Amino acid sequence: MSAIDEFFAAAEKALGASSINRSEETIRRYGEHTMPGNDKRPAGVIYPASTGDVQAVVRLANQHKVPLYPVSTGQNIGLGSRAAPREGQVVLDLGVKMNRILEVDEKLAFAVVEPGVSYQNLYDELVRRGNKLMLDVTSGPPQGGMIGNALDKGAGYTPYFDHFGISCGLEIVLGNGEVLRTGDGALDSETLANWHTSKYSFGPILDGIFAQSNYGIVTRMGIWLMPRPPAVRSFHFAFPDDADLEHIIDLCRPMKLSNFVPTLFRVSNDLYLCGSEGESLEYPASKGRKSISDEGRRALRQKHGLGAWTVSGAFYGPSMAALDPMIARTIDHFGQSGKAKYIAHEDAQHIGPLQVAINAFSGIPSLGELGLLKWRPGGGNLWFLPGTPMDGKIANAFQTICRAIYEEHGMDYMVMNVCGPRFARGLHVMTYNREDADERARADACYRKMSDAVSKRGVFVGRAPVDYHALHMAQAMPAYRDACQRIKGALDPANVIAPGRYGIG
Amino acid sequence: MQTSFTAQQLARPEIAEADGILRTCVHYGFCTATCPTYVLFRDENDSPRGRIDLIRVMLEQGGAPDRKTVHHLDRCLSCLACVTTCAVKVDYAHLIDIARAHIETHFRRPLGDRLLRLMLAKTLPYPRRFGAALRLARLARPLAGLMPGRLGNLIALAGREQQTELVAPQVFAAEGQRRLRVLLHAGCVQQILDGEINAATIRVLTRHGCEVVVAKGAGCCGALPLHMGRAREGHALAQQTSAAWSAELAKGVDAIVVNTSGCGTAVKDYGHVLGGADANRIAALTRDVSEILDTLDLQVGCAKPYRVAYHDACSLQHGQRVTAPPRRILTKAGFDVVDLPEQHFCCGSAGTYNLLQPQIAQALGHRKAAHAESTDPDIIAAGNLGCMVQIGRYTHVPVLHTVSLIDWATGGPLPKALRGRHLREPRAKQIAPETPANTSPAPPSSDAGFW
Repeated sequence: MSAIDEFFAAAEKALGASSINRSEETIRRYGEHTMPGNDKRPAGVIYPASTGDVQAVVRLANQHKVPLYPVSTGQNIGLGSRAAPREGQVVLDLGVKMNRILEVDEKLAFAVVEPGVSYQNLYDELVRRGNKLMLDVTSGPPQGGMIGNALDKGAGYTPYFDHFGISCGLEIVLGNGEVLRTGDGALDSETLANWHTSKYSFGPILDGIFAQSNYGIVTRMGIWLMPRPPAVRSFHFAFPDDADLEHIIDLCRPMKLSNFVPTLFRVSNDLYLCGSEGESLEYPASKGRKSISDEGRRALRQKHGLGAWTVSGAFYGPSMAALDPMIARTIDHFGQSGKAKYIAHEDAQHIGPLQVAINAFSGIPSLGELGLLKWRPGGGNLWFLPGTPMDGKIANAFQTICRAIYEEHGMDYMVMNVCGPRFARGLHVMTYNREDADERARADACYRKMSDAVSKRGVFVGRAPVDYHALHMAQAMPAYRDACQRIKGALDPANVIAPGRYGIG
Repeated sequence: MQTSFTAQQLARPEIAEADGILRTCVHYGFCTATCPTYVLFRDENDSPRGRIDLIRVMLEQGGAPDRKTVHHLDRCLSCLACVTTCAVKVDYAHLIDIARAHIETHFRRPLGDRLLRLMLAKTLPYPRRFGAALRLARLARPLAGLMPGRLGNLIALAGREQQTELVAPQVFAAEGQRRLRVLLHAGCVQQILDGEINAATIRVLTRHGCEVVVAKGAGCCGALPLHMGRAREGHALAQQTSAAWSAELAKGVDAIVVNTSGCGTAVKDYGHVLGGADANRIAALTRDVSEILDTLDLQVGCAKPYRVAYHDACSLQHGQRVTAPPRRILTKAGFDVVDLPEQHFCCGSAGTYNLLQPQIAQALGHRKAAHAESTDPDIIAAGNLGCMVQIGRYTHVPVLHTVSLIDWATGGPLPKALRGRHLREPRAKQIAPETPANTSPAPPSSDAGFW
């Protein structure tokens, strides 16, 4: 019997047959992804039901030298889906049985969840309880897992946008099978009053080393929630020209530095918004070898009533009417540009891509933005996620660079800048035909060239597709890489947890 | 997805259509998370993309499919949650219909299965036959426990209290000034099991100025046999109903009103199923009853703010994308409307599914009823008889059609399902929503402490 067969036999004995899946269909599907590289078949899939199960599997993995690849709900499309960094790893699918909402504290406004709990699950539970609390959601799939997103440094758009930042208190199975509690949960006690209310008590803050790493498997997380405001009123401004980005960023910055606008700004280009509403009309003729024409972009903007750039944000208050002064002040502010076309909340509700923004500001999971994935046929999708300081000139320079690289590779430039006070994350989407070898190669080359271009200008990516983790880790300074590997060696000495993920192990 | 049909195969319209649909699937896999059978079994072959693969192989190979393929395709509810979730909008609804028709034509099912399906197809679409069959089944009810699996389940279901009320073809005059002239799809099974739904629909429509016409010759919409793979029978019934309505179109019709959402989805698809100008026009005119009521400036409701858990029938939310109108009209009528957790999930009714796949249907029925009860409702509302029957089997909370509640709230009689029941005195209604126009309920007047 091979080592892997012995491992699965032992895992089946420990967890039961219903927790093991090695069917051909399952293995094939769990190896699929949307990146340019080939699919990567895992050795099988295991469905643990508890932290104890996870410990048992990790210990067996140490014993049999079998690499594991934990996923929460596996909705990470564009960043790797459920596929492991390398073939032959064993997927630990935590979403199937570890999907309980362990606690909702309505007084202190937090929830405690297992890895399989999706945004939709917690949203449903909060609505069921009377909709008093609002969670921050992504504009991605409603079935996406909250723990997986937080650990990969995912984000939303409300004041609670930073998903790892609003997590509080983790339970982690380390690479040696031991369980670690972070934050105030580190206290060696049966009663933990502050595990999910305070992050910074005695000792080093260990939580951070479990974000974008492979040092352990998080099996429980506290997440903070916001009291749901009675009124959410959005505002939107459409700008006509690509170069308007410079002015937009400079207009958004003071509104965020002062916290006058409580949400992040979504500053989206035309294709990011219109792309979710239909397929590229030029693709059949260009066969994906050319970017969409300027005429094509103009037609789309006209059709949907949007700009080359469209800015969205929202206010919270006791009633819509109470927010009138804030809206008026915002209209004045953006009016300085002389180019902004105001789109009111009521009108935006009838414009699909803006409804997506409204839902996001309101903490409501929605499907609308997934439409971006059908812009081109063939199921290829990559996300490139660098950032820019909130300085209009710099942001515009990055636009020029990335737009040119997209066009050089025949890709369609789709980007949303999610703007805070000092920094904006640039969500660059590449939808391409994965069934076309040439287009696939161009998508890969485009990603690599942009990574290179921005890093030369001092910009690191935030999140990255799994196939490019090694590339990005290689961009880090040697001491950082060395520190990451040393921590790996200390917490997962047998290198059994997701070796290769984030370029570690 | 790549396909490899021969030119000869592609010359057949249904294969050409299937080929076009299959090629759009790119295996993103979002569908798996919302597919009830995948969530229950975690078998890729019980997921939409797994089934799409099975269908591709079955149609490419042609001829009789293997048992495994039939097993997994039979377990599909056709709830279409996958279509809602799919990023590239694969037209799974028509693909699974083509697959079911292929199975029906090429696969020889075991004798008991064939007989059961034949019986369902030959009785359900015909109200008088179905009524007679129900009477027979009720006689056999004491023996239900002794009957094998699905037959026993069928007989047990037949024991449900029914309110048969067949609507004869006629015209119901509008009260006051006529605002609209509408055709009402009276349906088949619904008339036997719950005639109150049609009666309430007629009352509420006429009360709001609609002349309601029940056309002579219109019967089953064809959905039941179509979704069992019996395409020819389904088309014949659809054709018959379409022809009956076409005769009325010439007299001027503002809308065709359907109050069973499973039927509504089928009728809205007549343009695809039947083709031709009349079928397209019928499809374009068809509205769920909640959509029509939403446009009628409903009389202010006099209902007490009973807490109503609104269940989205799959055919309404996924098939027709109608989610806001039922909530709006129930709210306007005065009810306190709450959403169910996991509202995207099927209750297990799914046409004849709960008769053909009772174990899965039971698991889903329990799950749905538990979610509904978790919202602490006085009443559960739905826009589809099948869902009402299915959820009603697993809860003691009364399950009513949306239109029955609207009728009651705007001057109609107390629905029969509520007669003799004590409903608790409702709390004051929650404040009106000012969050976006979506399906979510209003924030409560007491939140976590600030607003």
